Amino acid sequence: MVKRLKASERKATILAVAKVLFSDRGYHGVSVDEIARRLGVSPAILYRHFPSKEALYEEVLNAIACKRESYVEAVVNSDGSFADVLRKITRIYIESVSRDPDYLRMELQSALEGSDATRQFFENRWRPFIDFIEYSLKELVAGKTIEPVNEQLAAMAFQGMLREALYAKCIYHSARYRNMDLAGIAEELVTLFFRAVGYTESEKCKESPNSV
Amino acid sequence: MPDFDLELDARGLNCPLPILRAKKSINSLDSGQVLRIIATDPGSVKDFEAFCKQTGNELLDTAQNSGEYFFNIRKG
Repeated sequence: MVKRLKASERKATILAVAKVLFSDRGYHGVSVDEIARRLGVSPAILYRHFPSKEALYEEVLNAIACKRESYVEAVVNSDGSFADVLRKITRIYIESVSRDPDYLRMELQSALEGSDATRQFFENRWRPFIDFIEYSLKELVAGKTIEPVNEQLAAMAFQGMLREALYAKCIYHSARYRNMDLAGIAEELVTLFFRAVGYTESEKCKESPNSV
Repeated sequence: MPDFDLELDARGLNCPLPILRAKKSINSLDSGQVLRIIATDPGSVKDFEAFCKQTGNELLDTAQNSGEYFFNIRKG
């Protein structure tokens, strides 16, 4: 006898299958019929839970948003310096994203085909880094802890290298980096970033207690 | 909202900056004193609840008014 799923279980199953398909082929590459076929149900059942493909896609994104990384613990347990906070939030982010690489694939798909709202969604996921780096570098320059630097481009460079590391390890499974784990790569990249902006980690003792 | 001893303007800042600034501001207060924070990031409501739970400071009250969020936190 086929077990009937509760509505909440059915919904969760639809979301899980839809996420895999959207991440493989993007929003436009997947039809409602195909999702239904993959689930072994009729499209009518699917429409009972989600009024449209768009609504289903949004719900998949919302499920990711609900799992938004919390950086509160990282900040509370940090010494408050730029270096310590950046290292800790980077660790949380890569752990979270590498646990669910479908998210990365959806981000890549959305870069080519997504709506403005979808693109905005993925940009928001990176915002803690961009805002934190830009703001902190401005403060460090103002306090003469580091030499003037283009903080906007520095934040972009950070995002770019972290994203590439995630792609290399979680999507391409690149042979070139097979001897390094993602956490180790991220640690090294953060160190390189500090050097590039002229910040030495011992500088943190010179940071004003009220900066950042 | 009750009186406060120090005000932190975290408008326009997104997580983790409001939390980081709050942590630094609270460090400058004595136990029992109140920090008032004004923020605009909607995520700050959840973040400050978690912050108080983890730091042993007391979230006295929160309020919202036209896109701004107000928090009063008493140092534990």
